[in-house]
Amino acid sequence: MLQMERILFTIVLVSYFLTMVLYFAFVTMKNDKLYKAAEIVQLAGLVLHTCTIIARGIGAGRLPLTNQYEFASAFSWGLNLVSLLFIYRFKFPVLGAFASPVTFLIIGYAAMQSKEVHELMPALKSYWLGFHVSSAIISYGAFGVSFVLSIIFLMRDQIKSRGFLDEHIPSREKLDLISYRSVALGLLFLTITIISGAIWADRAWGSYWSWDPKETWSLITWIIYAVYLHLRIRKGWDGRAAAIFAVVGFICVIFTYIGVNTFLPGMHSYA
Amino acid sequence: MASFKKVIKFLSSMQFAVFLLVLLAAACCAGSFITQGQTFEWYAQMYSERTAGLILALQLDDAFHSWWFILISAFLCLNLFFCNVVRLPSLIERTKKESDPEQVIKGPHTCEARVKDADAVFRRMHMPEPKTVTADGKTVRVSKKNTIGIWGAWVTHVGVLLLIAGFSLGQMLKQEYTVYGVPGQIKPVADTGYFVEIDDFRTLRNEDGSLNQYVTDITVRNMSTSADSTGVKASVTVNGPASVYGWRYYQNSTGWAADITIQKNGEPLQEEVLCAGESLRVADLPDLVIILNAVYPDLVYSGQGMPTTASDELNHPGYLYSVYYRNEILGMNVLDGEEPLTIDDYTVTFHDPQSYTLIQVKKDSFAWLAFAGAVITMLGLLLSFYLQPSAVWAVEDGEESTMFGYSRKGGIIFREAFEQAAKAAETGE
Repeated sequence: MLQMERILFTIVLVSYFLTMVLYFAFVTMKNDKLYKAAEIVQLAGLVLHTCTIIARGIGAGRLPLTNQYEFASAFSWGLNLVSLLFIYRFKFPVLGAFASPVTFLIIGYAAMQSKEVHELMPALKSYWLGFHVSSAIISYGAFGVSFVLSIIFLMRDQIKSRGFLDEHIPSREKLDLISYRSVALGLLFLTITIISGAIWADRAWGSYWSWDPKETWSLITWIIYAVYLHLRIRKGWDGRAAAIFAVVGFICVIFTYIGVNTFLPGMHSYA
Repeated sequence: MASFKKVIKFLSSMQFAVFLLVLLAAACCAGSFITQGQTFEWYAQMYSERTAGLILALQLDDAFHSWWFILISAFLCLNLFFCNVVRLPSLIERTKKESDPEQVIKGPHTCEARVKDADAVFRRMHMPEPKTVTADGKTVRVSKKNTIGIWGAWVTHVGVLLLIAGFSLGQMLKQEYTVYGVPGQIKPVADTGYFVEIDDFRTLRNEDGSLNQYVTDITVRNMSTSADSTGVKASVTVNGPASVYGWRYYQNSTGWAADITIQKNGEPLQEEVLCAGESLRVADLPDLVIILNAVYPDLVYSGQGMPTTASDELNHPGYLYSVYYRNEILGMNVLDGEEPLTIDDYTVTFHDPQSYTLIQVKKDSFAWLAFAGAVITMLGLLLSFYLQPSAVWAVEDGEESTMFGYSRKGGIIFREAFEQAAKAAETGE
């Protein structure tokens, strides 16, 4: 089963790369057929990626959400899922051109990690693992989409009017609202992640909050997005400040995931 | 009075909230980057003496319990409290207004359309069954949903406030102790009146030898009441704490212990179990203290000649000890297996190494408050994000109706949905 998982993972990696190329071709060649093709490849990649994660779970005999490789793979799955949902929901194919490189970078990071399967340490043997990590995946995926949307928002004024991109990219007002929706989804799931993590920490470590670097950086991320929500409703602001905070928020997400493990080891060192 | 109002206005303002949140994030950053709880010497070696002095002076070595961190948190609580107090009357007023169909149609609208089939628009906008009212002699059908969503931010603030209160009270008033020992030992839980008898301690391993679980079987006795003779039995594992007499028992850690036997002139004098790090005073010469610094289950020596263990298997035990007399160190060395240590008339041997268990015993009477705060925060976010209030109403005018829509948060997405619904109702798509 693990052999099959490795083959599937390679196919997923190729499909994500192809998705990115097709979206770029759609934007540069201004051909709507290419967007349809990109969307089909993206959806196929998502289905195959789901199969990959299931195969890994069966092969390992546990939830495949416990080490750097497994989480990075799941993170790119979450980002792909949320970006696809937003593309469909808001009929916004150009989002794919901006989101697919981020998805590819994250799955590329996963590809560079060790794929070995190890037995779980006692602290990780908990049914809270599923709640905690899967909510983090959705949360990170949604924040990834809000990051991409905020980048598009900040670039919106540079886009030539009446051009291809101008027609395919929503107005600043709509971009801001879509970004808000993705931050809302991300923040809700980040809150679930923090709460479920606290309950789990209480059972495993005897304390629901220990200021462990991972906990602290999750809180920092939560605070940054809370600032984003406040800035958005502040009268007289044109949305740029909120968009910048959404970008900073995603940098915090990436730091919480990779930076904390690299520079600030703590009780979450296995994650 | 005017200045008091100004202070309240400032304390409840959004600018102040944003300032405090950014400050809190920066404080958390500092606390996570600077290693916490170290000494001046440690920081001086890591950075410089000047920086070390600065870290200690600013309490950056214990950032999350420092006066300035507590001050920021306290101001955040004040901000949340006053924000909610100030907003409460207007929220109640708004709820009343938005619950009353007659008030809704007098309010603002963000979109408008002339349609023949108003019911189709209500349906396509997923609005509930409209209510009929009369305004200016005209029949108006009003449908509104998610009025409760107005309360989202307010409820979120209450949740965060309770969360901070529960956490802070817990930090200040929680009782926390540790109990450690080997099977057969009975240990007091500080001065609580409870005693923990360690019945068994097992390390479970997987087929490949990797660690699976630690299990400690305990009996908790309440010695402050004579009625409790049998005690309560419980099993404690990692991720599986036990609750006994309102206290929680957690499997926290493990380590090595060994039996120590002291003979005087060849006659048995003393026999105890020592966990690594523990000390023992010799019974008839209390100034003589023996410390078991470490137990090596599989003793080997590193390239630099330092003792270490090759594995967790009991293949070749060794013991690092130190001996003190009247607080002066007499010696420190490693004993290989049951090799005896002779100090004048006394002969000391370590033997029968075994794992000890370390149990954390805790009572946090405010954890429920923090948990309730977290749940309320979640609820508030759900209300804020997914129950956005909106209203659609149709003013009947002969065969046609003029339809209006209003959503404060829906913006262009609501307007587009309204326009599409109106257009589809007209074309019958």
